[in-house]
Amino acid sequence: MQEERFPGHKLLPYLLILPSALVIIIFLVIPFAQTIFESFFQATPFGTHKVFVGIANYIQLFEDMDYLHSVIITLIFSAFVIFVGLTISILIAMLANQKIKGIGFYQIALIWTYALSPAVAGTIWAMMFAPATGIMPYIISKLTNGYALNWMTNSSAALFIVSAAATWKMLGYNIVFFIAGLQNIPQELLESASVDGAGPWSSFFRIKFPMLSPTVTFLLFVNMLYAFFQVFGLIDIMTKGGPGNGTQILVYKLYQDGFVNLKTGFASAQSLVIFVAIAILALFQLRIATKRAVYER
Amino acid sequence: MKAKRIFIAMVFSVFALLAVTSVFAEKVQVVWWHAMSGSRLKVVKSIVNEFNADHPDINLKALFTGSYAETLTKFISAYRTGNAPNLVQVYEVGTQTMLDSGAIVPVYKLPEMLGEKWDWAKYIIPILNYYSVNGKLYSMPFNSSTAMLYYNKDILRRAGLDPNAPPSTWGDLESMGSKLIQRGSVRSVLSFGWPGWIFEQMFATHNQLLADKDNGRSGRATSMYVNGNFGVKVIDTWARLAREKIFLYGGPEYSANQAFISGRISMLMQSTSSLAGIEKASRFKVGTTFLPHFAGYPSGNSVIGGGSLWVPKGQNTKELRGVWEYLKFLGKTKTAIEWHKGTGYFPTTTSAMKVLMDQEWFSKDQNFLTAFMQILSGRRDTAAATGVRIGPFVKYRELERAAIEKAVSGVSSPRRAMDTLERQANSQLTSYNRLFR
Repeated sequence: MQEERFPGHKLLPYLLILPSALVIIIFLVIPFAQTIFESFFQATPFGTHKVFVGIANYIQLFEDMDYLHSVIITLIFSAFVIFVGLTISILIAMLANQKIKGIGFYQIALIWTYALSPAVAGTIWAMMFAPATGIMPYIISKLTNGYALNWMTNSSAALFIVSAAATWKMLGYNIVFFIAGLQNIPQELLESASVDGAGPWSSFFRIKFPMLSPTVTFLLFVNMLYAFFQVFGLIDIMTKGGPGNGTQILVYKLYQDGFVNLKTGFASAQSLVIFVAIAILALFQLRIATKRAVYER
Repeated sequence: MKAKRIFIAMVFSVFALLAVTSVFAEKVQVVWWHAMSGSRLKVVKSIVNEFNADHPDINLKALFTGSYAETLTKFISAYRTGNAPNLVQVYEVGTQTMLDSGAIVPVYKLPEMLGEKWDWAKYIIPILNYYSVNGKLYSMPFNSSTAMLYYNKDILRRAGLDPNAPPSTWGDLESMGSKLIQRGSVRSVLSFGWPGWIFEQMFATHNQLLADKDNGRSGRATSMYVNGNFGVKVIDTWARLAREKIFLYGGPEYSANQAFISGRISMLMQSTSSLAGIEKASRFKVGTTFLPHFAGYPSGNSVIGGGSLWVPKGQNTKELRGVWEYLKFLGKTKTAIEWHKGTGYFPTTTSAMKVLMDQEWFSKDQNFLTAFMQILSGRRDTAAATGVRIGPFVKYRELERAAIEKAVSGVSSPRRAMDTLERQANSQLTSYNRLFR
């Protein structure tokens, strides 16, 4: 006779998952369905007048040059945050994983950026680059004999500075995971490799990096979500999407249209587009990750 | 049985507490949502405390609900779920949204509903006009400001210029600016806060309509006038000044203030609400004057900005009375003066003006008078001088700022930037108006 997997009443398991299921339904499924519904309407902010517009919101979205611009900006921004950020993090993590005096201090000092709130980090960077009073434009103008860097009008400079700030803000988090990953690599492997004559480069690319691949895939995913969504606060504090929409990444545009311009239908359409894009990217990453990453040793 | 006694004492005190709170519950609760932070919050708190002390039957609760945009968003969702406050502060760009909301009781109806008579003429007329529809006041002016030109008298003096002769036209400003740069006094001369708003100010101070249907004041505007000759002239001037390094674009809202306070630039166009802060933080003599004019163009008036207080529908008479008492209290001379001195916003009544003058407040610091003289001496009989009112105003401000940024940085020619702005703004108007057909 087969043993009962869940002894007790037949409905007990369902009862036990009910709270989580309810939370998911109330806070995720219903709002999601509402978003889909709203995206086919155009409405006044107070909902007094509502017109069914079919897919007009989506058409407007893809015809809107500002939106296409936002897509490009978002891609550049997230590519920078993910690839430059992870590369720098792994390099710093290697340096911070040596047996030297006071390493605990260095490790903590490197991690603290993650503890800053976006508002604080944004204010620090904004003050550093303030056109007339910041230290960076001053240094740059001294070095280049008078070039006036004004990121309030120069949108490429603004995008670069915001990307750098966002990368810097995430360094701490990435470094923690890389250090943990590096410390998990069995010492014997590295020792036997060096006995076999592997130099620092080949021991990095042949042993350390493959051993870190689960960490890398995890961080790729976390950094992607960060670059798409969580940088909102930083952008809001530093540029508010300007100059000339130069740093208006998708999630900021969504906020602007939904919560400032009060166009719920248009914003709903945008959030669905972002959802689909992120879902595709996530699936793609998961497939690659499960194929390539080395989880066993 | 000590424990038992303590228990009885506790039960008793709980009942006593309930009794006390039920006495308090007799008071009318009036909840007010506002967006005043920083030093303004302190003034708000003190005014609310005074009001509550004066009105034992009313309990006014002022809640800071975030920025203007956040406050409006919160209000909308609260109203739709039936949890609206009794009074809410909305920024001037949200005016048409509120008028179209069907969610408010116009302020002019309050005295009638409560069986009172009220003399609206005691408020300062240009401020009243901004929030009126067909001559009837819809929301109570609260924090009203306008823009003016701030300048650094010390820099002018050091450069050998008369510190009491700031520019009155854009031509003056340009020639004075190039002198200041040639003499090495500053690297850049002028910057401004709220770039889109300053652009709108230019239309109003020259009596130029910014949108059709009398600036959207006699009907829903269907088309903007930004790419006409005047709009292009304004942006073209700004772009030229930027090329000559006279104008340094300083970013949105208040980010340009720092450059002025630290003496890196010598002129700033900014809201009058920055006056108290700028005077406190700067170590030089601050001068203020009217916004510069384009020679040969007609005169208008500078536009009111800031926010006003709206009364949501669905309140009982008791609550409405509480709200109305507070609105009246804000118009009291003492309150209006406290608000003006603490923040730099306009006091809203003529009698408050009189008392301020009697106290020699303006002769102690004439800078507080500049903005008054500007709005009181300007014309107030045209829609062009009163300022534009459109539904998608917030979105328009965003498009406007992007257009200005593109033009002054040279990414786009002034004409093209204005053409794009016109097209984008008109399509916003069309899609807004479609909802009201």
